[in-house]
Amino acid sequence: MAEILDYTIVSIILLAIGIYGLTVKRNFIRMLFAVEIIVNAANLNLVAFSRLMPAPNATGQTFALFSIAIAAAEVAVGLALIIVAYRIYRNIDIKGLKRLSG
Amino acid sequence: MVDLYSTPVMITVVLGVAGLILPLLDAFRRRDMGHKVHGSIAFGALILAMAVILARIASGSIPLGITFTDQVMADDMFGSFFSIAMLIVAISTVVSSVEYMRRVPNPGPYYSLILLSSIGMVMLAYSTDLLMLIVAWELMSIPTYVLAAFRKRDPLTNEAAIKYFLFGALASGMLIYAASLIYGITGSTNIAAIIQSLVGMDEGLRPLALIALAMLIAGFGFKMALVPFHMWIPDTYEGSPAPISALLSAATKKAGFAAAFKAVIFGMLVLNVEWSLMLAVVAVLTMTIGNLAALTQRSMTRILAYSSISQAGYMLIGLSLAPYSDLAMQGALFHVMNHAVMKSSAFIAAAGIALVIGTMNIDQYRGIGRRMPLISLVMAVSLLALAGVPPLNGFWSKFILFAAAVNAGSVVSWAPYLAIAGILNSALSLGYYAWVIRRMYFDEPATIPAVNQNYLYGAAGMLKVREPRLILAVLAFALAFMVGFGVYPAPLIAFSQASVPSSDVFSALPGGLQSGMVRNQQQEGHPQGSVVSDSSKGVDGGGGDAGHGSYTQGTGGMTDGGGASPGAGSIDADGVIETGEPVAVTAGKKGMEESSSPSSTPTGQHDDAGQSGTP
Repeated sequence: MAEILDYTIVSIILLAIGIYGLTVKRNFIRMLFAVEIIVNAANLNLVAFSRLMPAPNATGQTFALFSIAIAAAEVAVGLALIIVAYRIYRNIDIKGLKRLSG
Repeated sequence: MVDLYSTPVMITVVLGVAGLILPLLDAFRRRDMGHKVHGSIAFGALILAMAVILARIASGSIPLGITFTDQVMADDMFGSFFSIAMLIVAISTVVSSVEYMRRVPNPGPYYSLILLSSIGMVMLAYSTDLLMLIVAWELMSIPTYVLAAFRKRDPLTNEAAIKYFLFGALASGMLIYAASLIYGITGSTNIAAIIQSLVGMDEGLRPLALIALAMLIAGFGFKMALVPFHMWIPDTYEGSPAPISALLSAATKKAGFAAAFKAVIFGMLVLNVEWSLMLAVVAVLTMTIGNLAALTQRSMTRILAYSSISQAGYMLIGLSLAPYSDLAMQGALFHVMNHAVMKSSAFIAAAGIALVIGTMNIDQYRGIGRRMPLISLVMAVSLLALAGVPPLNGFWSKFILFAAAVNAGSVVSWAPYLAIAGILNSALSLGYYAWVIRRMYFDEPATIPAVNQNYLYGAAGMLKVREPRLILAVLAFALAFMVGFGVYPAPLIAFSQASVPSSDVFSALPGGLQSGMVRNQQQEGHPQGSVVSDSSKGVDGGGGDAGHGSYTQGTGGMTDGGGASPGAGSIDADGVIETGEPVAVTAGKKGMEESSSPSSTPTGQHDDAGQSGTP
């Protein structure tokens, strides 16, 4: 039980780092890192729970595989958006995105 | 894992095949085919998918209500309801895109992505497993990030897509994290198993479950446009192509509600006292802030975006009161269907107007009523329907939601305030809807504005222009829907009623014991809610007595061994959640001691709640 707590604490720290990165950083690629860190925190949870639960089962590991694939697809789209943004603005700082406002 | 002949699988095959063929068409083309060929194929596939759902419903093999099985998807009426709402929007988007996106290259991927996103939405509505739910969520979201950025040389579109992407990615990260916590608490990702094991949850795990609940609400809230998570909505809807804004606002948002129903309302059934209050607070905030912000806008798409936020608040009334009134979930679903049509028709009408005058600014809408009479008519009707003006469909769904709030006032004291907030907000929203209508019909233009140079049909400077035909076809359908179900709402009310379980499923569980008790007292004492219930019976006419007034049938529910209230379908058509065990009873006592009643004489109510094993 103590072991499962260690993993959970690490994952909560990772989650906090991810949310910090998303809210404070203004560079698009850093924000993508932050998203990846959040997803990986969840993956760590899933794998740890799957192995160390009172009744271990493999669902969590399957879930982690799916979520890795999902995050990869998501980041691929994100990078495509960055490339388009760079062609338009010559910059990937999201501080420049202020044209839409009301 | 899944029955191959169930509706979601058949729809996935239909839409998936069409979605894969569409990009391939570009490889074999001889000349530029424009959007017509691709649009027709996508339209045909979506119509076929719709026909599959309707045929399955007509065959009578779809169980009523919402079903959770040990499979990843369940073929039930709830999923069919949401799928129909979302497919209507997808069809409208495809048809209107053929004209609106005419000059945008790469039609193949465009329609393919719409179809893939539709698959995601449909699977989301049918999923009964958190893993499936998240995969479907991403299948729905990722194509829309690309669609929002589809005019890739346009800086506004790119900005809109980046904002959408960042919030969407944060939302899905939070959802996966919440799912991992729930998996840690319950040891399963299947929603039926989650419900079952949360009932006997160790009290020490309760804070963790609450964190997971909050993260689920936040994650879904980004898509549902709830207020602390709404910042991206106006920017994205303004910057994206207007048919895609319609898809985002009217379809993916509804998918968010479907997911919230599955994972929060039913998945976290045990915590219903907590989430009902949470959602109620968010509902009031969402309505009020959305409407107030809309008052100051000058761009039509931004007005519609803020109105979309405020409408999410109305639907949330239904979600938050789900444990306390049978009308609540029914009203929420009814409003989901109505809002899908009203909002997509408003966005597409705005797209039609923008095609002609080249702008979304409502100051340029002067005199539109005379130049484009048909589009203006539908725009005015859909705005009035959004405001909830009586002979239109939006009135009935809001009426049922507010009736549910008043009805639930006999159980929880704060519920009627939701109705008050909703009614005040409806009046407030008429402020900006009427402003747009006034601009269109009553303000004379100083000069006759020039027609957009790129416009297909009319020459510049004409007083009356030929209106875009395909957009008119979509709008004609929407007009028929809004007026038709406004005059005769009974079939739709019956359908939404058949798609939800009765609220007995909540009171039968230990977490809902408190509300179950109060409800029983109310029944014995005096029929306070009967006024509302009578009037709502008047509303649905002959249409639905399928389980109506079942809140007077006592709170038998599941503890009697999977006992469903008649007709309305129960949460365990397969008898998954049979909690007649002592575990449930002890957990129930814990829940009660925590809640206000200080464990003095709970036995009487305990028996009333259908739990025979009292000490």
